[in-house]
Amino acid sequence: MGRTLNQIAVVTMMNLRSIPQRLWTSLSTVIAVAFVTGVLLAFLAMANGFAATVKGSGASDVAVFLRKGSEGELNSVLERGQTQLIQEAPGIAKGADGKALTSPELYVIVDGIKKSSRTKANLPLRGLGPLADQVRKGVRISAGRMFRTGMNELVVGRAVSKQFEGFELGRQIRLASQNWTVVGEFETGGTVFESEIWADVAVLQNLYQRGSTVQTVRVRMDSPASLQKLRDYSDSDPRLKLDVQSETEFYTGQSQGMNDMIMFMGWPLAIAMSFGALAGALNTMYASVDARLREIATMRAIGFGGLPAFVGTMTESLLLSAIGGVLGTLFCYLLFNGISAATMGGSFTQVVFAFKFSGALILQGVILALVIGFVGGVFPAWRAARVPLLAAFRAG
Amino acid sequence: MTFLQLIRKNLFRKKLRTTLTVVSIFIAFLIFGILASFQSSMNAGVDLAGADRLIVTNKINFTLPMPIAYVARTAAVPGVQRVAHASWFGGYYQEPRNFLVAFAIDPAPYLDIYPEYILPPAQREAFLRDRTGLLVGKAVADAYGWKVGDRVPIKSNIWRQKNKSDTWTFNISGIITGKETRVDTNFVMFQYEYFKETRDVGGDTVGWMILKTADTKENERIMRDIDALFANSPFETETKTEQAFNKAFIEMMGDIGSIVLYVVGAAFITILLVVGNTMMLTVRERTNEIAVLKTIGFTAQRVFALVLGESMLLALIGGVLGVLAAFLITSAIAQSVSVLATMTLTLDTAIIAFVLMALLGLLTGLLPAIRAMNIDVVTALGRK
Repeated sequence: MGRTLNQIAVVTMMNLRSIPQRLWTSLSTVIAVAFVTGVLLAFLAMANGFAATVKGSGASDVAVFLRKGSEGELNSVLERGQTQLIQEAPGIAKGADGKALTSPELYVIVDGIKKSSRTKANLPLRGLGPLADQVRKGVRISAGRMFRTGMNELVVGRAVSKQFEGFELGRQIRLASQNWTVVGEFETGGTVFESEIWADVAVLQNLYQRGSTVQTVRVRMDSPASLQKLRDYSDSDPRLKLDVQSETEFYTGQSQGMNDMIMFMGWPLAIAMSFGALAGALNTMYASVDARLREIATMRAIGFGGLPAFVGTMTESLLLSAIGGVLGTLFCYLLFNGISAATMGGSFTQVVFAFKFSGALILQGVILALVIGFVGGVFPAWRAARVPLLAAFRAG
Repeated sequence: MTFLQLIRKNLFRKKLRTTLTVVSIFIAFLIFGILASFQSSMNAGVDLAGADRLIVTNKINFTLPMPIAYVARTAAVPGVQRVAHASWFGGYYQEPRNFLVAFAIDPAPYLDIYPEYILPPAQREAFLRDRTGLLVGKAVADAYGWKVGDRVPIKSNIWRQKNKSDTWTFNISGIITGKETRVDTNFVMFQYEYFKETRDVGGDTVGWMILKTADTKENERIMRDIDALFANSPFETETKTEQAFNKAFIEMMGDIGSIVLYVVGAAFITILLVVGNTMMLTVRERTNEIAVLKTIGFTAQRVFALVLGESMLLALIGGVLGVLAAFLITSAIAQSVSVLATMTLTLDTAIIAFVLMALLGLLTGLLPAIRAMNIDVVTALGRK
């Protein structure tokens, strides 16, 4: 047993020491594996970043009321009477003055100019109710100030001012023959809301001729468990019969389609490319075995077993692909981590998100690299283990 | 043995190695073919946009409406030949995930403005006569197995009928096919009059207008005139060419072009390395043999051509197979996914693929070929 281990160590070292003799071949395997890992990770990081932004947007103790079947905020309409009924629902947290913490909101779309492509893109303009700051936690004004009630004033999310033109602080904007001023910029910790523009709901109702209707009502619940109470309340009143979701559920649903699409592209691409890299790895390792045919046969002749030859070749292959995997991960991380991108989210509007890596993702990349190394090594290693002794005399 | 035979024999001497290399080239071209077809289908709206068509939308954003009175006022602008309008319905069939691109149109002018939609005259007549008629694009008809004469309920996630129902029922009067594969037919259309009379809100508004100009040279002026006409009203407009409008819409999805370029680029660099490396190995192993060829009278040029020919053949076999497979796969996707019904491997893509094959063969064969050409007979044979 000890002898076999010793033999394995010797043969493995010989394999590894001989890599520089096949520098270009080995390097091509490393780089091929690096590219495959890099492409897979780029897609995974994109899907992960998008999901983190959208899912992270929801609070579990905020409920959203939408018209049944409306799918997104843009399509929903709630009448004034419904807004008032919601305020009387059970399970809603109360403010200092005893008022139910609800925010009737409008959600319309305005154009922004994407800085990267200089083309127009849809941005959500949200009208907030007077109690919105108590319903939504974690909003911080990072520049300027909040809009004032009843004024034509806007505050813009941090992602909007970074990625889009036309919403700089102090800028005048014309919407439907009225002038608006950008008075502030807000942060919500990298959520979807940072891709939005906010204003006073009453002013927007007027501008968009919506009368007293709104699109959604958000409420702060006294606990996440109150969601069921709100649902029962809504279902039992024929005037309501609305879709009630926690914000967490709502945004998880909104992210699903995009997430599926990225994964749908990323994995098949990575797997297809893996086959290409695998062909390279196999060629490299077969070449490695062929080049040492005489050496292996000689060692067999002086008493080395087949197992050490197998393990030596396997180790070489795994090492090369592991190096490739690590390089690909590193390269992809340096190139993409934290890079911002924008795409269409729910309701045809833009969602700004950042590529995001995580340990779990990197693990997937490295596993893929090692699988290529394993499959690319196992067949050549099998050949190495079965080199006939006669080859020592025939080869060369 | 002819020269070509020699190349072929050389290529298939190490069957396993050649097969593996062909597989990797095959995959690179498969990826290229599918992604290029996907991109071309995304861009079809831009490439096929009528130069004489303009789109008028609400200036704040295209999701906002405008009064129907704008249609007549726009038609009066000099140089405007025909005006139609359309309104977004937010439709789906049975379940929200069966999303339908559905809109209400001003029937006759709309069909006149889009000559790339092929509709049998009898079906067109039937649609114009039936207030509750529905025109179905071929992609949708195929997806749901709908036929002319079927009665289908379509739900809206935006609108309600006056009786609060979210379902409108239509008679299918006709199936629209595209003049060519890339024309998108993933839509259904119905009469605006029926829609306006039954919906509970919205009144006399429409979503957007499409117009045809008499002379494309006048487009710039017509766009300015229309927007000036409605300036300072509660519904200001923005007029764009159809091409510019479609381009902006696609770009909202993100930079698809760059993603395709990066992925294809990465795949090709990988394959370049794999194939180039294999060719190098091959030449190194055949050093003796090449020296023998030279001894029996092969010129350096012929040896060069022999190696380069081998790498070219390799790239061609893998590449052609890859493009063929991509063609089959895109056709299958186009038939099963109605959103991607316009996906097709175009002639342009195939031509680019051939150029790439030539480049790949050249790049991977050049260095080994030079090396083979420079092999010194005495040293090579003396090495033994």
